[in-house]
Amino acid sequence: MTEVFSGRCWRFGDDLASDQLIPPHHVFEYDPAVLRRHLLAEVRPQLSCEAKAGDVLVTGRNFANGSHHSHPFLAMKEMGVGLICETISRGPFRLAVFVGVPLLVAGPDVIAGLGDSDALQVNFTTGAIRNQTTGRSFAVEPLAPFLQDIVAVGGGLNYARALLEAEGTDNAKR
Amino acid sequence: MAATLAEKILARASGRDRVEPGEIVWVTPDLVTTPEVSFPAYVNRLRQNGIDRFALPERVVVAIDHEVPVHSKEGAERNRRTRQLARETGVGHLFDGDGITHPLVVERGHVRPLDFVAAADTHTPSLGGVGALGVPFSIELTMILAIGRIWVKVPETVRVEIRGKCPPGVTARDLVLATMARVDADLANYRVIEFGGEAVAALSIPERMTLCGLCIDMGAKSAVTEVDERCVAFLAERGVTGVEPVRADPGCRYAAVVTLDASTLSPQVSIPPSPTHVRPVAELADTRIQHAYIGSCASGSLAELTAAADLLDGRTVHPEVQMLVIPATRRIYQQAMENGVLARLSAAGAMVSPPTCGPCFGGLAQLAAGEARISTSTRNDPGRMGSRDAQIYLGSALTVAASAIAGRIADPRDYLPAHTPAHMEDAAR
Repeated sequence: MTEVFSGRCWRFGDDLASDQLIPPHHVFEYDPAVLRRHLLAEVRPQLSCEAKAGDVLVTGRNFANGSHHSHPFLAMKEMGVGLICETISRGPFRLAVFVGVPLLVAGPDVIAGLGDSDALQVNFTTGAIRNQTTGRSFAVEPLAPFLQDIVAVGGGLNYARALLEAEGTDNAKR
Repeated sequence: MAATLAEKILARASGRDRVEPGEIVWVTPDLVTTPEVSFPAYVNRLRQNGIDRFALPERVVVAIDHEVPVHSKEGAERNRRTRQLARETGVGHLFDGDGITHPLVVERGHVRPLDFVAAADTHTPSLGGVGALGVPFSIELTMILAIGRIWVKVPETVRVEIRGKCPPGVTARDLVLATMARVDADLANYRVIEFGGEAVAALSIPERMTLCGLCIDMGAKSAVTEVDERCVAFLAERGVTGVEPVRADPGCRYAAVVTLDASTLSPQVSIPPSPTHVRPVAELADTRIQHAYIGSCASGSLAELTAAADLLDGRTVHPEVQMLVIPATRRIYQQAMENGVLARLSAAGAMVSPPTCGPCFGGLAQLAAGEARISTSTRNDPGRMGSRDAQIYLGSALTVAASAIAGRIADPRDYLPAHTPAHMEDAAR
């Protein structure tokens, strides 16, 4: 992954449910290029048009609660955005790692210091966050190195294939 | 060292004597389940990544359950691919329109107590009703299919002890909704809920599955109940033998212990926008509904269909309400047809459809803007069943049946066969 993200802060509140991220009737759709158009489309329609690679979604507590669908994270990876949330339950946390979306979990003081449209520089490897609009800097604990490895190789499937190749089984073919 | 049920299961699945909360272990699932919604897409993803064989195909169960009977060209193609890929990959079992995955794998004897089950679908924690740990992995299932194992952070356990006896009209749904009112996402997050106590021991196995299945919606990793003689007997009838009762070790460590008294509970309803927004049914008495649904993996058992039919005896569904009933599995459908329950429901004005997840995720019987449904399904996010401007309320099969009669959300205690009026019971307490 690109460890350092520079871009706009897209700020959201608490309790953003998985079904709000991408409505569940898109559950049969797995094409990331299609899914990115639906990401938060009913909450913040301009996101899918205006977000650029390097932008960061910043959310409050209990991000992506509810259904454990990979769809929102496939859309985020396709957009090239990173994620900072105050709390995230285990299902969506795992999905972010598996899909390869860079992620930080930050305290309420950090989240409060990141406003919508602020220019951010976020180092997902070290946990250093700089808000260039306000000039404030924050340091949060990064993901465990083991999980950063999965994100860094581009997600769990790349990681699985590397394991299979290392074990020399014939289940993986190039 | 004393272990919780979840710690026993994860120690077993990781091939270790014991595990500690917080450590990351690699576990080998005993069973891997995926519905047709995801299976062909997962196989495609694996093949695109150069992985064309499963590590442990015999442990994989695929179920065509979300769009049954198929009602789109895309669904028809997806089902065709699912059948073809299930053959090509040599999965252990393909269920084709036989019911909803989670109740189905228990009914057909694919799950044993202390099993670790990895599922694509969210509501697999219902397998905790037979003392297994069902954990949803969504698309991470591809990794499990590829290498036969997955990393797991050993969770802490929250013990929920439910004492007392459920009053008439109070069901497993009401117990789990009452639990949600006490265990919020911050307490549940990354933890397993372990249920015990007199009220839980009194539940049937399908009721215990309802209790555990809905814990995912409070943010828990999974949920589990103790394995007692009742569970052993239930499994023996389904061909699962050699099972011993098992419970947490005395003195094991819990992140928290929450105690509820079932005898003080009333029927509960989840109001929009999420299952954790729980209110006593009495507070919603003026809420008009146009739709009522009994079904999903969280409901649709023979006992619930029978209880709904009993409540509807001599009554009819309100003329302005569409009531839909979907048995959770083909076997339940067959039994309910043979014993007359489906005929009684139909005679009262309910529609009956074959087993499917359908309405629960908006794949069938969608709602229009301004409409409201009371449902036994799993979630009530805006837009989940059609229009974002429709309202979804969640309650027990009894609450749904009573509401279908009344045309508004109703207290089932006022409709129970040979009932004591709820206000008199409350007065007597």
